[in-house]
Amino acid sequence: MAERRVTVQAEVGLHARPAATFVQTAAKAGIDVTLAKVGGQPVNAKSILSVLALDVRQGENVVISAEGDGAEELVETLAAIASAP
Amino acid sequence: MSTTVLAPVAGRALVLAQVPDPVFSAGMVGPGLAVDPERGAAEAVAPIDGQIVKLHAHAFIVAGAGGRGVLVHLGIDTVQLKGTGFRLLAREGDLVSAGRPIVAWNPADIEAAGRSPVCPVIALDAAAEAVAALALGPVRAGDELFRWE
Repeated sequence: MAERRVTVQAEVGLHARPAATFVQTAAKAGIDVTLAKVGGQPVNAKSILSVLALDVRQGENVVISAEGDGAEELVETLAAIASAP
Repeated sequence: MSTTVLAPVAGRALVLAQVPDPVFSAGMVGPGLAVDPERGAAEAVAPIDGQIVKLHAHAFIVAGAGGRGVLVHLGIDTVQLKGTGFRLLAREGDLVSAGRPIVAWNPADIEAAGRSPVCPVIALDAAAEAVAALALGPVRAGDELFRWE
């Protein structure tokens, strides 16, 4: 299991462009990947509905988790998107 | 399974490519259509039957049969208005019928605040080819806007 915890930096939170970019990148992966608020229920990171409904605001911490081939690289890439200002 | 998505506002139905925001015009959020709303006080309505899974002042998501979610975004970059000019007529978690008023707003005020009031209506997690326009040009709130196969 690969896992990264990051703080969302974008002013709009994980909405609009950051959310779309995050989900598009996750959806290209051949393995399952989830997004959760710290201590919260993980949701499918490949679903824009799930990610928008999670409603992550600027300054909130999230956990990105994946398992399988390329999991480390995938969570690293997604962590970079989620924490980009 | 087929879902008919209704126009949340009255105005002129547009293809997403005409939306003045590349996140929507390039289909990054998903396929759909947009409505350039009539200027004047109005109520944005639910585009499908379902549950309001997210309700912001400037945007809301209704998830219906099969977990299909439709995003209605009231204007472009309107998150920056921090709710000013919008009045919620429903609550997050509410079960709603298509056509039920969700948010009261005035597109003329949004425009006066320097932002486009164009409303993207997006089929979330849908493939681009799953969406077919049912209207282009003038629509009333509650008219059929697009079909989601």
